[in-house]
Amino acid sequence: MSESGPSPGVPDMGADQFDAMVEAERPDPVEELEKTEYDTDLGLAMAEDAQRVSKGDLSSETFWAKYDEAAAREFGDDYRETPNPAVDKVDSCQTIDDAAADQLSCAGGPMESVAESLQNPEIDPDKQWGMVIDLEKCVGCDSCTVACKAENRTPPGVTYNVVMEEEHGEFPDTTRTNVPRPCMQCDNPSCVQVCPVSATYKMENGIVDIDYDRCIGCRYCMIACPYGARYLDYGESYEDEVMGYGELTSPEYGVDRGSREDGKSPQYNARKCSFCYHRLHRDEEPACVETCIGDARNFGDLNDPESEVSQMAESTRAFQLKEHTGNDPNVYYLK
Amino acid sequence: MATRNLPNFNPGFESDRLRIAWYGLIAVALVVGAYATYQRIVQGMASTNMSSITPWGAWVAFYIYFVGLSAGAFLVSTLSNVFEMEGLHKVDRDALFAAIIAMVAAMLFVWIDLGRMERLFNPFLHRNLTSPLSWEVHAYVAYIGVLSSELYFSMRADLVRVSEAGTGYRSKLAGLLTLGRTDLSEAAIAADRKWLKRFGIVGIPLAIFFVHGGTGVLFAVAKARPYWNSGLFPIIFVISAVVSGTALVMAVYVLRRKFFDGGPVDLDLLNRLGQLLLAFILADAAFTAIDALIALTTLERLEVGTWLLLAFGKMAWSFWGIMVGLGWVLPAALTSRRKWRRRPWLMVLAGISVVVGIVGVRFNIVVPPLILPVMEQLPTGDYFPSLVEWATSFGIVAVGLLLYTIGAELLPLTHLEDGDHE
Repeated sequence: MSESGPSPGVPDMGADQFDAMVEAERPDPVEELEKTEYDTDLGLAMAEDAQRVSKGDLSSETFWAKYDEAAAREFGDDYRETPNPAVDKVDSCQTIDDAAADQLSCAGGPMESVAESLQNPEIDPDKQWGMVIDLEKCVGCDSCTVACKAENRTPPGVTYNVVMEEEHGEFPDTTRTNVPRPCMQCDNPSCVQVCPVSATYKMENGIVDIDYDRCIGCRYCMIACPYGARYLDYGESYEDEVMGYGELTSPEYGVDRGSREDGKSPQYNARKCSFCYHRLHRDEEPACVETCIGDARNFGDLNDPESEVSQMAESTRAFQLKEHTGNDPNVYYLK
Repeated sequence: MATRNLPNFNPGFESDRLRIAWYGLIAVALVVGAYATYQRIVQGMASTNMSSITPWGAWVAFYIYFVGLSAGAFLVSTLSNVFEMEGLHKVDRDALFAAIIAMVAAMLFVWIDLGRMERLFNPFLHRNLTSPLSWEVHAYVAYIGVLSSELYFSMRADLVRVSEAGTGYRSKLAGLLTLGRTDLSEAAIAADRKWLKRFGIVGIPLAIFFVHGGTGVLFAVAKARPYWNSGLFPIIFVISAVVSGTALVMAVYVLRRKFFDGGPVDLDLLNRLGQLLLAFILADAAFTAIDALIALTTLERLEVGTWLLLAFGKMAWSFWGIMVGLGWVLPAALTSRRKWRRRPWLMVLAGISVVVGIVGVRFNIVVPPLILPVMEQLPTGDYFPSLVEWATSFGIVAVGLLLYTIGAELLPLTHLEDGDHE
């Protein structure tokens, strides 16, 4: 293949030719709208402003304040039963049915309801949650890390789960071990031992909790953790890369904290993996377990001798990280 | 017993020009520090160069530095107040007052280091018996109480004399600080001495085992960081505190005599302080060497790696230059000859050299074990304090210097009845 020639599979065309092709395919809005029984001008105006909303130049409140009346008049019942999913149910200027709104609402509502469901203490009184990660099955794809970030909406610099990758041997005889590292939810957690304000503690189900409203941000727990599983939230944000990043936070430990705001906890608090405590109560597995492409991660009750995880944790292949520390993690690995 | 007229109680700066220059310098540092503190509050922890790999930095280093200075200075004061070593009573108030101010600075460093500064009282509302830090904050409060009581009983009689001798603001302040106990009878002064000794006796274990030894324990219990996780570590902590405290008291004693009350420097006392300093430096260096040897023979990744980083890493200059050079070698050389120990300016140099050198010791305690990650495959840290961290630190040091200077200008830190003023 010569330097100047086209790459295989890529047509040798300029940008203007692509634009012309797109233009040829694009339907004429006026023509399209005239096919319907509804007002063409209203349709065009709403479409143009909707584009401005999606670019962030116009708020959806303003949009609906401008069009709600006209749209209700034009579309009648159909309009009332088909809310725009981008509009918050609460405080919306759009006059829609409650039922329809509930169906599509994407406001703070769902987080609130998740948090509420966690107030019910009787769900896992005698469980001891544990995880077993099969290193033979882990391919090092990092999808657990990504799923964790998405689920827990962790800020830059805070990574509850990482995959530690190690190469052994010399080229070409090399092998690679990938060791995913969540919080170990130790039976004897060093972090709990040193916290000066008892802001971090072990729950009955074995998960190590952090009370973000009590934590003073002294970072002693991060010093003490032998697994480097704790992070300080330095108050950073993905806002520049992801629009609306801070609009909601994950209801970690069963507390809905609404939007992520400067100076509000969990900013400047210690943070770590919670085994997705908020998911467990909906009978869902932690996000990393659910997403694992190789089925390397297993999750369940270590107190139940019949459970898959307790049987795996008993196997001769099972080991814990840094067993000499006496921390006794509830995350096991299979060699 | 005593003569009631005060020959020349005038403890302020002797030279007005020097006073203006000194307060000017402090004012500049305070303004810069205030701006940096504003940045730290507005930007939060992102204004620092700390990370989740290196979660403690300059502020913690300065915090343990000032706790060490305080504990060391206090222990020097007990040489007179408890052990009744001859001649050392001349520095007991210098030592106690410096110890109090150092604790104030230490507490300000702890405070600015908290991720959530508004929750500074949480450690008193929610405790944790297994946390050394939880114990420490209570020990600090008790210790500041002991120091203040000590200074009060050491100084009360002189405060009464100052308040009775004049009408100026110094006398008014002295009158307030007597807390109404104005009896100058021999019995009352003997009672002061007795209480001074009693508080000193309580203070010694408090300073050694709780305040500074405890701060060492705070690090030593972190088994995740083998560099700290040794039984010797809290002991070295106390010894280096005594090194810095002795050096500070020695320097402050000479400087205050030279610039404030103009009394003669007691060369025998200076000689004795110099000897003590030399002995403490040698002990500090020897114990540190033992600790290093034990660490290296473990052949363990973090132990050996951290020591190698310290001695040959990017920041090795701070180990060899500041910690070993200024902290040990230079002052040990300066105090090695009797003739030199009787030269006030040389001893000021030795004292300041140690006081700066121990800053290096404290940084090299806090930072190196937070560079190598606890799990080998996690990222390695890279830390040098940010401008905000430096500027806030200088600001807090300036607060300490300001408080010390104001106190030295107003309070009878020199005993009025030793014949020092004649």
